[in-house]
Amino acid sequence: MIMQNVHQNPAQDEVLKCCNSSRANFATCKTHYAQLAALVPVNQFYHFNDMWRFATQKLAFLVSLTFFLETGKLASFEEVAESLGLKPEREKGFHLDLEDYLTGLLQMASELARFATNSVTSGNYDRPIEISKFVSELNAGFRLLNLKNDSLRKKFDALKYDVKKIEEIVYDVSIRGLRPAAGNADQAGN
Amino acid sequence: MSRGGGRGNRRGGHRYDRGGDQRLREAKDEQRQLIDDSSEIIKTFKQFALQLDAKHDRHERIVKLSRDVTIESKRIIFLIHTINSSNDSKKEQILDQANTRLKQVETNLFQAIAKELVGEDPHQFLRAFSAGLQEYIEAKTFYQFMVSASIPHWNEIQKDLTFAQEATEEGAEASEIQTPVLPTEYMLGVGDLTGELMRRCINCVGMGELDACKQLCGFLRQVYRIFAGFDTFGYKEFGRKTYVMRQSLAKTENVCYTIQVRGSEVPKHLLAQAIHMSMDNPDEDEGFY
Repeated sequence: MIMQNVHQNPAQDEVLKCCNSSRANFATCKTHYAQLAALVPVNQFYHFNDMWRFATQKLAFLVSLTFFLETGKLASFEEVAESLGLKPEREKGFHLDLEDYLTGLLQMASELARFATNSVTSGNYDRPIEISKFVSELNAGFRLLNLKNDSLRKKFDALKYDVKKIEEIVYDVSIRGLRPAAGNADQAGN
Repeated sequence: MSRGGGRGNRRGGHRYDRGGDQRLREAKDEQRQLIDDSSEIIKTFKQFALQLDAKHDRHERIVKLSRDVTIESKRIIFLIHTINSSNDSKKEQILDQANTRLKQVETNLFQAIAKELVGEDPHQFLRAFSAGLQEYIEAKTFYQFMVSASIPHWNEIQKDLTFAQEATEEGAEASEIQTPVLPTEYMLGVGDLTGELMRRCINCVGMGELDACKQLCGFLRQVYRIFAGFDTFGYKEFGRKTYVMRQSLAKTENVCYTIQVRGSEVPKHLLAQAIHMSMDNPDEDEGFY
């Protein structure tokens, strides 16, 4: 919910305030995960993980979104795991599942598509270009994966619509000459 | 053109076009080499791809093994159904054969599954081998029931699915690996067993073994009583199996009833017909001809 506020006022300093509040909440999540980890017997993670899978995916999305808004980069798997207090590998204990992390990234891409629209509305014209570059790299990355026909695959299929939407925004901004430093080489994805 | 090393040769009489998957993967491998390697994101995703591939491949291998288990278990069950109790030596022969085949399933297929599961959380792959495991439990318990009129505990079945691994030259220690027999899987397998026992009961009538029918009916009743007491929240399978079990039990009880009522007036070999007729046409008056 806190992260929804960034859409309202996408000025950079406001955005960073939201990120900080989120980070505080992530710390609470850490305690909850620790409690969960205490309840689940060793080696039975996957027996029960459907119960919290949705929550983990959402949190992975929020962490990666926060990270991107703060730094403009992709949060790595290890960083997301660490922010939530989860181990990156199953052998080390209660861990973050790779597929949950990937689903979170796809949810983030959708959110960024929306954010790009709102950025333009509030006059910030270079953020969509950043977002476009970022999301098309993400798309390239996902294309490297061999996915089965599961929910991850379905979300990945939706990713191309997000890419398209963001590119349309960049197009709109460019042809109207609103793009800053239009003399630079074309950076907006393809 | 380089082939994705080590992934070749997907043979094995399966209906799905595994070759297609492989060709697609090879095409993707080539494509990967063309994509710009330097980006951090691309690098991490390549790692992810390897991880996901390994997991999917393992899943598929277990599924293949599980299907083989299912087929062989079903055949063993058919074999056991051919037993005619009045011919003891034949019965022993059949049971021996069944036992040998069960052991083969254990050493070949289940050991391979156990090897795949080394170092993994078995629950992650449970859906891959659950069907095979249940079918095997059905065959195993059916066999044991024919031998001793009782069924083994899941701990005993687990022993059959635990395999000692010797210390290897690479320095790995001697250890035990197993394909886990989860109590829930065991119970679902026993649920399927009740269907086979019902079939056996009806066959017994056809062969004139009326005492066996009563015995089977009693056993079935015990199993049903226990299943009826389960709270099936979160496990739809149990609800379904219990429902089917109730019907099997009802059929078996009808058989026993018919034996009791008509047993003295109708010669044994015609009793089977009488029962079939009464089961197919429950609404009609029990006119025999």
